[in-house]
Amino acid sequence: MSEAETAAPRRRINLGFDKYSGLYVWALLILIFSLWIPDLFLQGSTFKQVLSFQAISAIVALGLILPVAAGAFDLTIAGALTVSVCWTAWALANHYGVVVAAGGALLIGVLIGLANSLVVVKLQVNSFIGTLGMSSILVAIAYMITNSQQIVLSTQGYAPFFEFAREEILGLPRSVYYAAVLAVIFWWVLEYTPFGRYLYAIGGNPIAARLAGVRVGRITMIAFIISATTASFGGIVYLSTIGTATPDSGSGYLLPVFSAVFLGATQIRPGRVNVLGTLVAIFLLATGVTGLQLAGAPGYVTELFNGLALIVAVALASRTANKRS
Amino acid sequence: MTTALTVRNATKIFGAQVALDHVSIDVEPGEVRALVGQNGCGKSTLIKILAGFHAPESGTEVTVGGEKLALEDPVSSEAIGLRFVHQDLGLVPNLDAVDNMALGNGYLTNKSRSIRWRKERANAREALANLGYDIDISLPVGSLQMSERTAVAIARAMSGRGTPPKMLILDEPTANLPDAEAQRLYALVDRVAKTGVAVLFVSHHFDEVFEMAQSVTVLRDGKHIITREVEGLTEEQLIEHVVGRKLEEHNKRGAEAREHGPEVLKVNHVSGGSVADLNMEVHRGEVVGVAGITGSGREAVAALVFGGMARHGEVMVDERELPQNRPDISIERKVALVPAERHANASIMEQTLRENITIVDPGRHMTAGVLRRRPERADVKEWLGKLTVKPGETEYTMMQLSGGNQQKVILARWLRQEPSLLVLDEPTQGVDVGAKADIHRLVEEAAAQGAAVLVCSTDHEELVRVCDRVLIMRKGKVADTLRGEQITADSITAATIGRDTAEAS
Repeated sequence: MSEAETAAPRRRINLGFDKYSGLYVWALLILIFSLWIPDLFLQGSTFKQVLSFQAISAIVALGLILPVAAGAFDLTIAGALTVSVCWTAWALANHYGVVVAAGGALLIGVLIGLANSLVVVKLQVNSFIGTLGMSSILVAIAYMITNSQQIVLSTQGYAPFFEFAREEILGLPRSVYYAAVLAVIFWWVLEYTPFGRYLYAIGGNPIAARLAGVRVGRITMIAFIISATTASFGGIVYLSTIGTATPDSGSGYLLPVFSAVFLGATQIRPGRVNVLGTLVAIFLLATGVTGLQLAGAPGYVTELFNGLALIVAVALASRTANKRS
Repeated sequence: MTTALTVRNATKIFGAQVALDHVSIDVEPGEVRALVGQNGCGKSTLIKILAGFHAPESGTEVTVGGEKLALEDPVSSEAIGLRFVHQDLGLVPNLDAVDNMALGNGYLTNKSRSIRWRKERANAREALANLGYDIDISLPVGSLQMSERTAVAIARAMSGRGTPPKMLILDEPTANLPDAEAQRLYALVDRVAKTGVAVLFVSHHFDEVFEMAQSVTVLRDGKHIITREVEGLTEEQLIEHVVGRKLEEHNKRGAEAREHGPEVLKVNHVSGGSVADLNMEVHRGEVVGVAGITGSGREAVAALVFGGMARHGEVMVDERELPQNRPDISIERKVALVPAERHANASIMEQTLRENITIVDPGRHMTAGVLRRRPERADVKEWLGKLTVKPGETEYTMMQLSGGNQQKVILARWLRQEPSLLVLDEPTQGVDVGAKADIHRLVEEAAAQGAAVLVCSTDHEELVRVCDRVLIMRKGKVADTLRGEQITADSITAATIGRDTAEAS
């Protein structure tokens, strides 16, 4: 009590522009589009669209946070998603049933994570290079599974599978709830468990972490496994949402997911990748892109906006970080 | 013949400190001269004046082969015939000898501006052959032996495209060399001198002085003490010149023999890194120091004992063997390591003091699957207070603290574990005087509370201050042990640089 009293007069009003700039920009974007194109933008369907379109990106990005927190790149997330999509579609089309299809997809995720850690932890290949190579291998596997064909699942034949992501609860598809549940789990893991502390310590200084008793190799391996398995789960959600598998299903996710994680590192807990920041980044970008498209911007505005937003945000963040130190 | 190097009245003042005080020396062509003295005696300042990095005070005059050196001008220094090889050699390890030699001197090109590789290779081979080395010049220099790398660096210095070299200046040339390779280097220097080039080398190693030099110059506190022939000089005399007074006789028995508890650490025939065969023990409540020059093994002892690097041999803690390369198990067994170079090995700079301290056991404040920040903060706050860390704010990042306070945070990380064996490597490196005294007090407190403490340090005053016993490392082994009243900074210095006359078998 007395502590709060003495502390109060010294406290300045802090609007948190450093930590929460993303939230302000987000609000600003919503305001701009609401004034600019109120008929198109201020619709319930717009918000639903933004949320459900981003559910898959959010799921994949959440898994990616773990290896990046430990200072390792995992470029296989897109490949893991693709292989998972292709495998699940192939297994369903060949009547293996939902359990084998989805269970197999998750198992494939675990195996990809193990292979990544073999390359990066055991063989000591730089994670960027190692997972880049693995990504290429995964694309090849996707082509093998699909025989380079598109696999289209008919809506009638696989009704229960489609419900997995599409069924709406309170007006939102289940995929949005999956992303939300995963967000809570990863937030807890990163902020409130020793494992999360170990990840950030390895990312901060792997030598110091090792000498402080952190099992650097093992922790990095677990991070890779979680990352690839989460991407595989994202693949199941993708197939359930889209219904079509091709060997390049996941290729469009690599850049936006990485952008979201890095952009997220400038938010909420500046300087470190984190769950809430990543979510803010994803929905901020999606709001901007959706608004621009509704206002009649051409299709390439998505990539343009994502790229500019990432560079501007990270540049601003490193400027403030320099000023502070 | 004109004198190769003449220095007259070299003086340099940094702020209020006189780093070099009217030093005058002469070196003749073909002469090999050693320049010795303690840290801060002015020898690096002198070298840096010759290299053109420092501008000396007026009155300073330097001539090389009779030509006057334009001061504070690295180009003039090179042009007039001075050549330098620094301790780190300045080679790029992943390039081969030819490229490394061209780095300083430039590539030979033909009219179409392409490199004349055949000529370059022939030149490199010849330059090395002149030094008595036959090296595969296509290998990256990083894969060569240390003495071969030194040879490449010297060959580069000697084969400049401009004026022929008149004087070669080496900084600690054999600091990182094993004995056999050092012998090769002595022969190399001999060849260089025979061509009429004068050699001046800075050294801490008395082996090197006696084997390589014809004459020696001693500096102390910025002043020229003596220049004389090596012949007829004894090691005791040289140490006396360096330290500035006659050494105390150190054959008195340690008068104050403290009682220690049972053995906590026992090291049997351990090797790894620069350590060849380490045997020692540390008891409960005892503070044991480890001293030695760089390359003696001192720098590897802490990591080997803790299990931070691969080793052979046996390390027993409380009569159980400690596995190698498993810091987590070492920590479970109550062994703590405060490593040297905290930036590289201990600090997580952009994280909070709280996270830096609890990284060893983040689960301590976990209840119901959740880390509780409030008790964690209280716990860390208490330790920051105990170690008088300033500012003692748990949520400050390491980056916001001074070096001394950072070191205290690392110490807090380990003292909080209540270790039964506390290993400290250079515990007060880059730490201000006040924090240093605090750290020494904390070490003694840890011992008083029953920890066995091992302190590896190049700060001999520090060892005198905190140690019951000091082990002297030479050539990867414990060569000597000082106890009780034998422990003085001078005796430690003398023992670490002492020659292995009575080479232990």
